[in-house]
Amino acid sequence: MSSVNQDKQPKKDTKFRGWLRTIDSLKVMKWVVYLFFFLFLVLPLVSVFLVSFTGQPVNLLGSLVNPDIMATNIERLSNASFEHYSLLLGGTYFSALQNSLALAIGVSILVILMCIPLAYAFARTTMPYKKTLAALCTIPLIVPTFISAAGFIIMFGRTGWVNTMYQSLGFDGVLIDAYSMTSIVLIQVFFFFPFALWPMVAAFKIADISLEEASNNMGAKNWSTMVFITFPLAIPGIISAALLIFTVSFSDFGTPIILAPDGLNLIVVEAYREISGFFNWAGASILTIVMVAVAAIFFWLQRYVTKNMDYGTLSGKPKGTKLNDSKIVTRSLLVFTILVLVLPMSAIFSVLLQSFATTWGTGLLPRGFTMDHYATVFTRSGDNILNSILLAGGALIISVIVATLVSYFVVRENTSKLDFMSSIPLIVPGIALGIAYIQTFNTAPLQLTGTAFLLIVAYAVRRMPYMIRSTMGTMMAIKSDIEEAAVNLGASKLVAIITVVGPLMLPGIAAGSILVFVTVIKETSITVLMAPSDWAPMSLMVFQNLLRGEVYTASAMAMLIIVLVIILQTAANKITKNSLY
Amino acid sequence: MGSVQVKNLVKKYDKAIALKGVDLDIKEGEFYALLGPSGCGKTTTMRCIAGFETPTSGEILIGDKVVNNVPANRRNCGMVFQSYALFPHYNVFENVAYSLTIRDLYSGSLGQRIKTFGRLMSKRLGKPTKEIEKKVQDALDYVELGHLADRGVNELSGGQQQRVALARALVMEPSVLLMDEPLSNLDKKLRNTMRTTIRKIQQDLKITTIFVTHDQEEAMSMADHVAVMRDGEIVQMATPTELYSNPKDPFVADFVGSSNIYKGQVLKKNEKGNTVVKITDEIVLESETHTDKSEVEVLVRPEGIEIIREASTPKTENVVEAKVKVSTYLGPTIRYDIELDGMDVMVEEEFQPNTALYKEGDIIKVHLPSERVLLI
Repeated sequence: MSSVNQDKQPKKDTKFRGWLRTIDSLKVMKWVVYLFFFLFLVLPLVSVFLVSFTGQPVNLLGSLVNPDIMATNIERLSNASFEHYSLLLGGTYFSALQNSLALAIGVSILVILMCIPLAYAFARTTMPYKKTLAALCTIPLIVPTFISAAGFIIMFGRTGWVNTMYQSLGFDGVLIDAYSMTSIVLIQVFFFFPFALWPMVAAFKIADISLEEASNNMGAKNWSTMVFITFPLAIPGIISAALLIFTVSFSDFGTPIILAPDGLNLIVVEAYREISGFFNWAGASILTIVMVAVAAIFFWLQRYVTKNMDYGTLSGKPKGTKLNDSKIVTRSLLVFTILVLVLPMSAIFSVLLQSFATTWGTGLLPRGFTMDHYATVFTRSGDNILNSILLAGGALIISVIVATLVSYFVVRENTSKLDFMSSIPLIVPGIALGIAYIQTFNTAPLQLTGTAFLLIVAYAVRRMPYMIRSTMGTMMAIKSDIEEAAVNLGASKLVAIITVVGPLMLPGIAAGSILVFVTVIKETSITVLMAPSDWAPMSLMVFQNLLRGEVYTASAMAMLIIVLVIILQTAANKITKNSLY
Repeated sequence: MGSVQVKNLVKKYDKAIALKGVDLDIKEGEFYALLGPSGCGKTTTMRCIAGFETPTSGEILIGDKVVNNVPANRRNCGMVFQSYALFPHYNVFENVAYSLTIRDLYSGSLGQRIKTFGRLMSKRLGKPTKEIEKKVQDALDYVELGHLADRGVNELSGGQQQRVALARALVMEPSVLLMDEPLSNLDKKLRNTMRTTIRKIQQDLKITTIFVTHDQEEAMSMADHVAVMRDGEIVQMATPTELYSNPKDPFVADFVGSSNIYKGQVLKKNEKGNTVVKITDEIVLESETHTDKSEVEVLVRPEGIEIIREASTPKTENVVEAKVKVSTYLGPTIRYDIELDGMDVMVEEEFQPNTALYKEGDIIKVHLPSERVLLI
């Protein structure tokens, strides 16, 4: 008997090894990615959806392991009704939706109009001071919207210096009221435009130069080439940029929470109040469903428009770029770019001044200057700085890995399911995701609420679409024969991805990483909801200080965030530049 | 090194059928061209052999081994891509060293593998082994690029990139070398040089080579054997000379060189054993081709037609009168577009410095030798 057993033992082992060898490592990766999205995206959202009917939390994961929880859930589900949805027809929810839609559409249109000349300037001209201006154009990205809002109050508040200036010129009243729809629009336009600008620059760059040369060659003037060739070729990039702005504006919460006047009702603020004020699970989840639905429609629209458009390609063959060096063009673009930068820069400058101010009442300048606020920040909040970096770094690692794999599967293997799944976060506002997480991971078997890990995952998932958009763009530009060449030369698919596709995607990954890191550091909605107190990042400190009225320390901390991100971004740029081809 | 056999290869896509049963028998060391218009399935056939496409049915053998289930990265087929597909983030040396480095990655101890991996990610993370260095340098010297090893691939000219791609495929000592329209991105002069270079290398190394092209001149001048493809099928497989002088059907005849093709009726066999074929009432020709068909295509190559200059040499059979429509001076040859009883015919004659060119409207006599009149 024993000898038989001994015979069987090694046989099993070889069988197992044989089985192991047949596993496609790439396929395993695919399932891991699927599991990630299921657990941290689909599950929480389904839960929120169910809650909008039951009005009470449901524990889906728990139902799988514990029959008692299952029973409670079934009972709650059996009491489900559309009752809560009738709230939608009533006044406040409906007008909130209307206002938010108008805001998001208006902001997207303004941003795109503003970014077309900017993107052209950066991608296709020899505009002077391009590097400096490019750096300045990324700065608005760094600034959390509630800090820009604070800057706006310093400028346009009742005692704000711009309005003071306005009145001293002999006008009555205020130029712009800080607490109004106008100022919300201005902040969103001038602080969100970099989200659209860099993808559009990429789109202008990727458009095939030889087509333009062909057009010029056939007698077209430069401007008509620009209108009929360059611009249409960049349209997929422009449309996806507009979509990005729409959803960013639609779900932005830092600006409205601070600047929305009492009469102005916006859906995000409404949802936040329902949750943090009243713990109204049903109302909040209904608003979430509405927000997701709106964003989904816009998302579908974008798909529909770009479906038949092809992207330019980057083959193994090099290609040169010709830049527009007409003096009139570059000079006027330079002036335009500077004008665009005036408003965000003044807002940031105002915050900077305030961070050094002893006090700043009515008057163009503060009464006096001091370093005290910075001293306070460093002695009291050193941990917050470290927390921010660790949390953002963790989110970054998760997003880089997942985004690279997703881009690969979507572009090369046409895995549209994954494409769909990974773009869901784009249409889920941070508050909604936060609530869904808190509720889903509140109890066993996967009790993660209140851990830094869940916060990191939330950051990563929330910023994933931006990362993926960035990596997917470069992935599309890598011709599949480069990868086939690697396979042909003996590399397995996974090795080909790591050694060839990965490095070629580096510019895209780096560009996306910058966006992710920067946005995570300034993330507010999720942070406010989910950050455990011993992991409080800088943005939470600023937010709390602003609410407590400690505006000077808040400004100092805000400046610290801005400086930190500028440093990181410069470092990241250096790294990418060395690996560009 | 190995032979390649393809047996009844079928490839179906959702809507289209790309290959309808392709058979190939390529001997070891042979230079084999797949020739055909775009969309004929030649590239698909090659991609099936390389392992990038999974055939719907049929067998592929490299050496004596069926490779249908062998993944692309273990088939050891060196491939030269149409776009070269050089890795833009590696320099020339690293491009060529890639396959050898990958081989190291799959063998050796864990520590060595990690080192190799580092080297793949950045040249700063490790030096290539002596062995790889030598092999790569040899391969680069072989394609006369030894001095450019440290260049970035984007700094090279088209011809140099092409040779890097070739060296990269050769350095792995592939059992088969696959080339997918490798010359289509080069200008004409360079193309001719590369043709010679590739042929010489192939002969030197005696490496089995499959060459995909739509350019008949390329296929005919380089290959030992040519398979002409159309609509996912092989129409004819033959040596270049056989293909030219004895095409199986009008498509092949037309594809492998310019030709005059007409419909004709077989009348009878004459006393010499030649087939007599009628094209028009006026034009009745003898042909040495034997055929059982009554309706045939008559093929005469332009250079197979002689223009009779001296009235004194009497040639009775296959001599007809014609009118010159256009004469074109092409350098080494002159092309006449002439008219025979309402039919347009192309004639090519070698240029002789001391003979005058015919002009438009001249009436001439032409001889169509019976061995050059082919019936298909």
